[in-house]
Amino acid sequence: MNSRQRVLSALRREPVDRTPVCNPTSVATVELMDLVEAPFPEANRVPELMARLAATSYTELGFDSIMPVFSIIQESSALGCKIQWEQKDNWPTVKMREPIFQDVDDIRIPADFLNHSDTRCVTEAIKILRKEFGNEVAIIGKTMGPWSLGYHCFGVEPFLLMSLDSPGKTKVCLDKLKEATIRFGIAQIEAGADALTLPDHATGDLVSGEYYARYLRDLHIEFAERLRVPIILHICGKTEDRMEFIAQTGMAAFHYDSKNDPVESMRIMRNRTSLVGNINNPETLFSKGPEAVHNEVIKNLQAGVQLVGPECAIPLQTAIENLKQIPKTVKEWHKEKASRNWRG
Amino acid sequence: MAEITDITNEFIRQEIEEFIERPDERQRTIGTFAQACPEMQVIAAALIEGENETVSRLTRQALDSGIEALEVMDYGLIAGMGIVGIKFRQNFIFVPEVLACARAMKAGMAHIEPILSAAGVDPVGTVVMGTVKGDLHDIGKNLCIMMLRGAGFVVHDLGVDTSPDRFIEAIEETKAPLMGMSALLTTTMPNMGKTIEAFIDADLRDEVKIMVGGAPVTQEFADDMGADGYGKDALACVALAKNLLGVAVKS
Repeated sequence: MNSRQRVLSALRREPVDRTPVCNPTSVATVELMDLVEAPFPEANRVPELMARLAATSYTELGFDSIMPVFSIIQESSALGCKIQWEQKDNWPTVKMREPIFQDVDDIRIPADFLNHSDTRCVTEAIKILRKEFGNEVAIIGKTMGPWSLGYHCFGVEPFLLMSLDSPGKTKVCLDKLKEATIRFGIAQIEAGADALTLPDHATGDLVSGEYYARYLRDLHIEFAERLRVPIILHICGKTEDRMEFIAQTGMAAFHYDSKNDPVESMRIMRNRTSLVGNINNPETLFSKGPEAVHNEVIKNLQAGVQLVGPECAIPLQTAIENLKQIPKTVKEWHKEKASRNWRG
Repeated sequence: MAEITDITNEFIRQEIEEFIERPDERQRTIGTFAQACPEMQVIAAALIEGENETVSRLTRQALDSGIEALEVMDYGLIAGMGIVGIKFRQNFIFVPEVLACARAMKAGMAHIEPILSAAGVDPVGTVVMGTVKGDLHDIGKNLCIMMLRGAGFVVHDLGVDTSPDRFIEAIEETKAPLMGMSALLTTTMPNMGKTIEAFIDADLRDEVKIMVGGAPVTQEFADDMGADGYGKDALACVALAKNLLGVAVKS
């Protein structure tokens, strides 16, 4: 099995030779930027640099997937949001204090949405990667869900208050914004993406599980139906209270956070949706050493998590040594398991 | 010791029984509301329901009827916000509901602040708050600010992407004895340490207590940065602020 086959099989919950290692958000680090001379912020805006930096997850770290989108700003930029591009040591961020929409009628998806330099950068990077790597490694695209786009375009607080004050209006907003999600997703599939990450930050740190069911479950069912590749839903933070709803959407996988217990999460999912994750970023990958990483990987493997990797976009200052430990532990664990099975 | 039956308002009694589990918090809340007159309990109930127009109207009514502004603030608004904070910490309510309650608090305070300000009443404490340089996320910081204001603090909000110099400038301007820094990104967390170093370089570190928080921040990280305290959530931020300033918890 090659990396691509391994990832795609795990997303379908089919047998694999070993658990694939995957980060469907971002593995970009400053060390990797230096290694291939593809630094931020340019690597977020120039297709060749984006592809070159993204490829390091496969070529340098030994992961089974490549994710060229390192941030969550591309489609918001194309919608008209202002972006703070930052420098090499920080991610670009949407200036959410300067919202572009105040009301549902303001929502317009520009005619040139897919030709905007920041959305086109992603599709071009995917084409480069597909050409370079053929079918040997899974290339994953990323299209933001309407809830996250709502934060970016309306501002977090106005959007959350609207969700409480005017549920009907909020649903119309989500319905309009979903077209951006679908259009960008389809464009990436056509460019060659094997799967798509769909971040939609209805996290337990902000809203209830009931909110997820009320506002997003049906939309996520629609995404899983209309975007004809495996979709990996990404929601940070505590999400156990909404995993049952997520499992009902038909999403191929859920990229889950270290705030959730692997065993309990697997129990809730009941093999309806694969899990991807959930190595802790700030306390483990960023702050500790390979041994701590090893222990967290083992925890996920023992729980039966289908794809192992960091919980979210990894901190830019993370040591390569720690990231390389993830595939190393996965391979060792499977080798030991095979050896135990062989010995009976 | 006050009993729950000493509270006249049925809604408040139900809120306490249903949502406040920790014995110390329960007793403190019962003690506060047992001292509150029925009008204040109604204001608190409206605030807990996030009804900003009702809170505004009832606050005005209470002040016009001769109830002291301080009493309305302490036993109507702050007491109500206390229950909101506990419900939020325990995941009975989430951010949208807290935002609505904070909006109601603000509507009530709009009537109270001018009176307290004219009378020269000191706030519980004064705090400067900001998200660190390079970070544009502010929902966590804003929740802390809502809770701090809900507990009677005056807060100077520096917003997002705040440089060390801007923090220093604000402390010099306001003479606030306490400052809070927030970060959501692992990439910007180190700027907390850089800001603390800037205070040391400016010879101002002893003038101000510094608390830190944010999703990726931990107690260990806060200690390494040389912060005076770490708050894991908005309610912990209020407790920490009181602790750092030596403010007695109302009983």
